[in-house]
Amino acid sequence: MLLVLSDEHKEHLGFLPEVDSVVVSEFGRIAVEFLRRGTNPKIYEGAARKLSADAETVQHGVEGLMYLLTESSKLMISEVDFQDSVLVLGFTDELNQLLLQLYLEHRKEVRHILSELTPSLPHYHNLEWRLDVQVASRALRQQVKPTVSMKLHLEDRGEKSAKVLQTDPATLIHLIQELEKALAELKTTHCRRILRNIK
Amino acid sequence: MELSESVQKGLQSLADPMLFDLKTFSVLIEVAFQSLVSAHADSSVLDQPEFKRIDQMLLKHCHNAATTCILEGVKQNADKSTISSCLEDLRFDAERTDVFYSIYQKYRSDLETLLSSIGRCPPHINDVSWRLEYRIKNGHVHKVNEPSYLISLNVENANNGGSSEDLHFSCTMEQLQVHNDLVGKMKDAAKSLEKATQL
Repeated sequence: MLLVLSDEHKEHLGFLPEVDSVVVSEFGRIAVEFLRRGTNPKIYEGAARKLSADAETVQHGVEGLMYLLTESSKLMISEVDFQDSVLVLGFTDELNQLLLQLYLEHRKEVRHILSELTPSLPHYHNLEWRLDVQVASRALRQQVKPTVSMKLHLEDRGEKSAKVLQTDPATLIHLIQELEKALAELKTTHCRRILRNIK
Repeated sequence: MELSESVQKGLQSLADPMLFDLKTFSVLIEVAFQSLVSAHADSSVLDQPEFKRIDQMLLKHCHNAATTCILEGVKQNADKSTISSCLEDLRFDAERTDVFYSIYQKYRSDLETLLSSIGRCPPHINDVSWRLEYRIKNGHVHKVNEPSYLISLNVENANNGGSSEDLHFSCTMEQLQVHNDLVGKMKDAAKSLEKATQL
């Protein structure tokens, strides 16, 4: 699957062949850093001065790289496809290789960053449990009522929450049985077929 | 058993053969137990034919005294000697004490169950539902190709009359299954429950 680069995008990336490969590597590093932590416009000005170029041109160059990285990582295109997509820009082989390396080295991380944008539910983080026996209450003395107290830790985009819950022994066994059924589903032929064939 | 003066007076009236003959007494005691155990408050509970000739205020007072005494007895897990001595102090003859105690035996465990369900507790898990999905792609990342579980715990707040809500969270296969995660931990809890019951 080839990446289709818009004319504007090609124009922005057009700045890259005009500078040293060392500078391009540096831009690549900055692009990844911006993806990780957000952009910092001051860097553009500093770089622009050093290269005696327009700050806006530098910004477009870096942004072009960022977009190239995110699009290729999102689609998870193969090496060959990446090289073919970049060929259309008419860069030197050296530059092409540099871009390819940048992509391959960082695509997993970029995909991880992108996946934080997707809608998601809180996900399971940890479960703490405790066995208690209720021996008396205001309404009834002399009881023997076993209960299981649990603290369910969930995480939602970095925000952790913990919920204290309780259940009785019969329900606990039922929960275990239901969840084991859920796990067994993954091993069925139907699921295996889907997991194998959709890649 | 500590009973208030009003309750004691009511019971003393119940003991009086001039006010209640043995048959009427037995019916009232049975009615008192039943009204505690039945799920709905029934305003016609005292409309028995045996009660027609009795002053309504007295009837209500005695019914009230009887139910209070019953609840106190069940709450304290009172045995035969405690109940007998309490009633004898209130001028119950042996026959009436026996009637009371035999009906008490009949309804005792139902009343205990009822009382033990009254009280505050953390949200109580009643059930679990699950869904297995295979994530193919989303708006930000394509070719995700991962199975994922969506778990819903049906949780009831506070008492029986409390609202129930669903706690949703997602979970990978590893988080559900591998030792030290959700199902594994629940099984640990169940195992130690089993050990505790054998102590």
